[in-house]
Amino acid sequence: MKIAVLVKEVPDLEVKVGVSDGGTELEVEDRNVLNFFDELAVEEAVRIRESGLAAEVYCVSAGDGRGNEAARRGLAMGADSAFLVDDAVLANADPLTIARTLAALVEREGYDLVLAGKQSTDDESGLVAAMVAELLGIPCVAGVVELELEEGSARVVREQPDGKETLRVPLPAVLTAEKGLNTPRVPQVMGVMKAMKVQVPTVELEELGVEAAPELRPRAYHLPPERPPVKMLEGEPAEAAAELVRRLREEAGVL
Amino acid sequence: MSLAERGRRIWVYCEGEGGGYRSASLELLAQARRLAAEGDAEVVEVVAITAEGDGDSETLQGRAHRVLVLTGAELVPYTADSLVAALSAAAEEDEQGLFLFPEGMRAREVLPRLAVRTGGRAVMNAVKLLAEDGELVVTRPVVGGRAYAELLVDEGPWLVAFRPNSFNPDFPADLETEVQSVETDGASSRIEVLEGAGGDVGVVDLAEAQVVVTGGRGMKDPGNLQLLEGLADALNGAVGVSRAVVDAGWAEHAIQVGKSGKTVSPTLYFAFGISGAIHHIMGMDTAKVVVAVNTDPSAPIFEYADYGIVGDALEVLPALTEAIGGNG
Repeated sequence: MKIAVLVKEVPDLEVKVGVSDGGTELEVEDRNVLNFFDELAVEEAVRIRESGLAAEVYCVSAGDGRGNEAARRGLAMGADSAFLVDDAVLANADPLTIARTLAALVEREGYDLVLAGKQSTDDESGLVAAMVAELLGIPCVAGVVELELEEGSARVVREQPDGKETLRVPLPAVLTAEKGLNTPRVPQVMGVMKAMKVQVPTVELEELGVEAAPELRPRAYHLPPERPPVKMLEGEPAEAAAELVRRLREEAGVL
Repeated sequence: MSLAERGRRIWVYCEGEGGGYRSASLELLAQARRLAAEGDAEVVEVVAITAEGDGDSETLQGRAHRVLVLTGAELVPYTADSLVAALSAAAEEDEQGLFLFPEGMRAREVLPRLAVRTGGRAVMNAVKLLAEDGELVVTRPVVGGRAYAELLVDEGPWLVAFRPNSFNPDFPADLETEVQSVETDGASSRIEVLEGAGGDVGVVDLAEAQVVVTGGRGMKDPGNLQLLEGLADALNGAVGVSRAVVDAGWAEHAIQVGKSGKTVSPTLYFAFGISGAIHHIMGMDTAKVVVAVNTDPSAPIFEYADYGIVGDALEVLPALTEAIGGNG
């Protein structure tokens, strides 16, 4: 069995974010990490290989000058290989273009199972993996918290607002990882050293024969509105609580 | 000229829940009606699209110009495969349509696949839809909510999912509504449900709740989390927790608020004993009114709060529940 893991490089949560040129440009500090949910997907893939149920795990990433960090982290965690699609066309790409790119690449490399994170921590859209499934013509289950491989299928558990449900999905399929699936390993120093030395092969869009969807370029950006300064309520718990209730009713009008 | 040539049609997917429609769908209908009434963006028709078994389509009377009920044996109960097939058949009818979905598991399953089939734009997690200079503009967070992007709804079909509680749900249900039924070609599910979720309808959904009461490590002990429930019950709200509480094994991940948990946007948000790490803020910063209670006056949560109390959550919380119960 061959497992493909879709990985994305995202800005670290603590990066500085600004808006310039009258709101037309977004400036994000260049400090990137492997997406938290993708880390769960890599971990799961490597565990499946370690259990002997899969022979090979590879990571794929697509972006404009981005993805190397994600690919190397995947390798350091134990993926056998990684591929990077690095193309200027991907700078403001619609998620559909990214999905077409990743689908073409995994089609070329072969797969029996595709794993990914349930969403990226920057866009939080969860579009690409499901789009890849549709492009490949295979089913997708998003937000998996338990995964067990069976003969020709996978048994998965996911969270719904009213509890957990258990599903059986035929393979190949795309499954996306939700927090709780596993606890990702911290790569060993040896693994990190090894990953640093690997030359991650880059692929161009043209080689894959991918047609880009029209770019998605926002007309403007803005920062979140600033909240007015906090009103601190003093006194003993009972007094402060009573004052809070009064303010929520009369001032904020939310009770 | 036909309707479609003169303007845009807005389709709202009315998702069923517990025998009725999700309030997150009804607020989208209200916003679509508002845009149509303003006339600025030439919204010529608001269509509620729903599947057999989702809810009683009679209750949508007056809320849309037209209700399109998709029928077919495979649509009940919901499966992603059958709904994708049914909706894409409907979507192909309107190449300039704007299709609105309430955020949630279904939108996450169905919308990306519809986008592949129709070649339309897919946008998740949106928080605003406005008409400006005759154009429709969708706003959504980027870089995890550290900034917002405004997208001009241009050519082709657009499929947009909105975070619950983004719009005022009140709008007069005063339209003459035409109800149509369309038999869809069956598409059976490739996925087999071995064990369904509990279907516990008594629980207020965290993502849609108007009031969210959350607790962090300042709750000190898992047994104290029931104090959160006391206040949530008094306000018909839902309980959430911080990542630290989940990681400590005090509560299930399903009720975690924050980056690796749920994003909530309630009218009123309480944070008890939560310091306010960026991870947490990213899951609640669009809440309208925020109340924070923490023993540490310099806790970052106070920077995001409208009202703050420096004190022990375990003392303030019962006092607050009592104050609300006493005056309610």
